[in-house]
Amino acid sequence: MKSLRYIIIFIFAFQSNAQISDFDTINFQEADRIALECKNETLDNLPQLSYKLTSKLTTDVERFRAIYMWVCGNIANDYRLFSKNMRKRQHFKNDSLKLKQWNNQIRKVIFKKLLNENKTLCTGYAYLIKELSNLANIECEIVHGFGRTSTVNIENFTTPNHSWNAVKLDGKWYLCDPTWASGKPNPATFRFEFDYNDGFFLTNPKLFAINHYPVDKKWLLLESNNPSFKTFIEAPIIYGKAYAKLSNHNAPKKMHNNIKKNEKVVFKFQLLKPVEKEDIYLLIDNGNRSKKIYPKSTTIENQSLIVEYEFEKSGFYDVHFLIGAELISTYTFKVKS
Amino acid sequence: MKTQLSHTQNKALGTITYVIILVITAFAFNPMYGQSQNAATTQTLQNERTIKGIISNEDGPLESASIILKGTKTGTVTNNKGEFTFPQALKTGDILLISYLGYETIKVKIKDDTSFIRLMLSEDLIEFVGALNTDKPYKSKRSN
Repeated sequence: MKSLRYIIIFIFAFQSNAQISDFDTINFQEADRIALECKNETLDNLPQLSYKLTSKLTTDVERFRAIYMWVCGNIANDYRLFSKNMRKRQHFKNDSLKLKQWNNQIRKVIFKKLLNENKTLCTGYAYLIKELSNLANIECEIVHGFGRTSTVNIENFTTPNHSWNAVKLDGKWYLCDPTWASGKPNPATFRFEFDYNDGFFLTNPKLFAINHYPVDKKWLLLESNNPSFKTFIEAPIIYGKAYAKLSNHNAPKKMHNNIKKNEKVVFKFQLLKPVEKEDIYLLIDNGNRSKKIYPKSTTIENQSLIVEYEFEKSGFYDVHFLIGAELISTYTFKVKS
Repeated sequence: MKTQLSHTQNKALGTITYVIILVITAFAFNPMYGQSQNAATTQTLQNERTIKGIISNEDGPLESASIILKGTKTGTVTNNKGEFTFPQALKTGDILLISYLGYETIKVKIKDDTSFIRLMLSEDLIEFVGALNTDKPYKSKRSN
């Protein structure tokens, strides 16, 4: 009886969210090679493209991987289309009839662009992944919701601004964000540049929920403790590189923090891969200048990274967390004496 | 002679009855998978035929819609009148996937009497949104 109790505790303790580590034994080389081999394929025959990408692979996760890699590597984000669409949607947000008219009009333009120029916006990526997966008998859905980045104005969070995918593999649902995985606009020219980030493929739902909030909460895919929309709005900003380096972001829970001078601030993350302690630093900006700070206490145990810091002077600070010069997250601290 | 014959007949009848009972017993416990499958194959072989069709959308004939045999890469596309002739003879039970980017993909199962497919594809009613990710560091707005 006693041992049974331990077994139950063990099962609960080790129950993890659906994520990429479930497929640690699978090597995606073959799937990635096939996706690359299909580089010159076009979108005018989706069933044929799906067949070419998946027919030589045996597991669903590899078949899905080939589809995902093809879409991420061949579809560009159209920044002009994106900004025009967002502007119009914002403009018509209180006029459902005009919004519907606009949507019908833009939909045709978007599909034409996708077909002729391989360019789209988020929903286009999610749409292609869903269609190609469904054609390969893989259950896949488009998830609409809110995506939060450093430049998104959360005051405009009245209508969804982002789409991603949920996919069912071996009976379990997983999350991925092909748009954010494929690349980013160049900060100067706004031209889209392919820069694949593997962190958005079958991501830990806990990390995903920090800057993705679905309209339908079931797509949070968290077994318990669904965060509220308020928690999501209050969460820190995490960047693309956070997905490449972390499997979870545990603390601080909030973007804006009020603390006292010399009060200990704790940053706690779960790492995906080992990192060097010397590569970890903070960029602290007081509004006038930015200072690079190596925290006094950094511990890494079992891939769990804990960094402690104390502010010695009162003030208002933007604090950026970096690993090896890659921007991971941002918080603000109002420090009182 | 007559009695002898009838004796032989009786004996043969007995054996036949025995065999019949044996066969019935055997099949009673073993459904006739083999037989019914053979029958199906013979029937479909006879039924192999060329399938033609016309695909349209709400505006009329749809050019470049793709038609593919499910699970293969055998297929064709429609011409400017929305017409197609499938390049391979098809049999009952085959499934065609008919698709066009932005329209719902339709599965058509070939039935015994299918020879011409007339279909109208309906639009995938999707609302398009998109947020781009960025590495631009967040900067607080300060009053001073």
